[in-house]
Amino acid sequence: MARRITILLLAVLLIAALAILPFFLKAFYVRVGLSIFLSAGFAVCWWLLAGFTSYYSFGHTAFVGIGAFAAALALRAVPEAAPALQLAWALGAGLVVAGGIATIIAWPILRLRGHYFTIAMLAVALVLGEAVAAFPVFGGSTGLALPNLAPMSVRVEAFFYWIALALLAVVLAIAWAISRSRLGYGLAAIREDEDAAQMLGVPTTRFKVVAFVLSGALTGSIGAVYALNLGYITSDSVFRGSLSLEMIVNSLVGGMGSILGPVIGAAVMTGVTKLVLADLLEYHLAITGILIIAVVLLAPDGIVGLWRRRRAREAE
Amino acid sequence: MTALVQTLVNGLLYGGILSIAAVGFSLIFGVMSVINLTHGIFVIGGAYGALVAWSVLGIDPLLSIPPLMLVAFALGWGCQRLVIQPAVERGNPVAALLVTFGFTLIAVNLLTVTFSSSVRSISPSYSFINLRVGDISIDLVRLVAFACGLALIAILGSFLRFSRWGRVIRATALSELGARLCGVDARAVYALTFAVASAFAAASGVLIGMMLPFTPAEEVTWTVYAFIVVTLGGVGSLGGAMLGGLLLGLVSTLTQTYLGAVYTNMVMFLILLVTLLVRPNGILGSAFKASR
Repeated sequence: MARRITILLLAVLLIAALAILPFFLKAFYVRVGLSIFLSAGFAVCWWLLAGFTSYYSFGHTAFVGIGAFAAALALRAVPEAAPALQLAWALGAGLVVAGGIATIIAWPILRLRGHYFTIAMLAVALVLGEAVAAFPVFGGSTGLALPNLAPMSVRVEAFFYWIALALLAVVLAIAWAISRSRLGYGLAAIREDEDAAQMLGVPTTRFKVVAFVLSGALTGSIGAVYALNLGYITSDSVFRGSLSLEMIVNSLVGGMGSILGPVIGAAVMTGVTKLVLADLLEYHLAITGILIIAVVLLAPDGIVGLWRRRRAREAE
Repeated sequence: MTALVQTLVNGLLYGGILSIAAVGFSLIFGVMSVINLTHGIFVIGGAYGALVAWSVLGIDPLLSIPPLMLVAFALGWGCQRLVIQPAVERGNPVAALLVTFGFTLIAVNLLTVTFSSSVRSISPSYSFINLRVGDISIDLVRLVAFACGLALIAILGSFLRFSRWGRVIRATALSELGARLCGVDARAVYALTFAVASAFAAASGVLIGMMLPFTPAEEVTWTVYAFIVVTLGGVGSLGGAMLGGLLLGLVSTLTQTYLGAVYTNMVMFLILLVTLLVRPNGILGSAFKASR
């Protein structure tokens, strides 16, 4: 109990410290922080499904895209509302539409396991991306513009920095709550052995669907923020295979075994690409590739795994 | 009527290319249960190899196929031994997949730095010749590429069917444990499989480079097409890759002619999704081990 309160206090302090950072940092560093929070948020959403159940989705960018376009289209309906209402409306649209579509595809797609689930999610993302590019409602190849919702008195990057931070905190809290719930234990059982879990009375299908829909809906709401921050979206910019891959890579680099894994992975990978590799733009891809291979081969349980192994060794 | 026949002919010719471009992917998926994201880069690498051979050394693309296959074989062997095998031994299927992704990033980067990201194409002297059969016109290049593709598939088929090493590969695919009990060095077989698959991917890349323009970033397309072809036809069987490729070629050209080019990819991806949901083993089913 005491430990839980300590963790909670530390979390609140950390979030407060991160929240006041934009007052001291240059715009560039605030933007780096913003992209860290966004990619950490996406990675945690992906991890909600993959980390608990080991259903590795290769097409989570589908939900980013759905959230983004749902927000853009929803904002057209309320051009005159107050910015704060519009923001809530856009986030809600992203959440609900992505969650709704996730619910529709959950049953057929979760019947598949292993590689087949992975590929099927890739196919979902590809189909949706092509469909959005093909139909004029979504702006076709020209895309859609979103209004700027940041109040005049606040710097744009700081505004989105705070929203992304808040969303990341919410997503982390949900993941943490699940990990201590019946649902979380059931999902872990599915990860270890789905057939055995079913035999022992875990409602595997229902649990998987819940995890899938939660993961999709939350990805959608962060996708809405992602779109608002971009200000202008096309099928290519939000239904982007590299977004799906980033979620996977960040989670693996950080470590799949802990909620903090995806966050640490996102911070390290985004930090490395934006700060360290900023001058090496030409070899950016190759260095990322080397990093991925190195992590998989040398630190299979990610950064969190390395740290845990070290602690275990010290304890001996 | 003529338009339909013309579309069907074009579809079959394109499908032949899709088939040969997918056999390597199919082999690796079937034997090693690894989703090989490096596949597309070996295809595109083959195209760039042929481009260099043609524009610098003046070698006809078709003649550059055997040496390029040797180079790809060696590269594939090394890549499997150094990078992919250690990841496979981690026992996590996603580890292997990520490692192939990392390798692909490096290769795309190197290709872009070497050749720039602009669109390239190979056009040997005979590339603008059209054959006419009645009202149907056929590009000579496409016909030649189709024939070469079929020949290559036949070669790979007889290698797997009749050679000693082919038999060992098939045995390992059926049961790694069983094969090892019979004295097979499974790691060597995996390296050989990967090398053979890479060689055939590069060969298909040469054929593709003769027909279509290409860029380093195009590798994603060919990996995804290989995915669709293999899923549709059935994992790990050459017949499956053939059937899947031809069907997909037909669907692709029919969509392009009768619905519009915007919808081609969407229809192809929909087919992938529907196949996975309705018949995940593909049309011919999977003769190799279940890839769960």
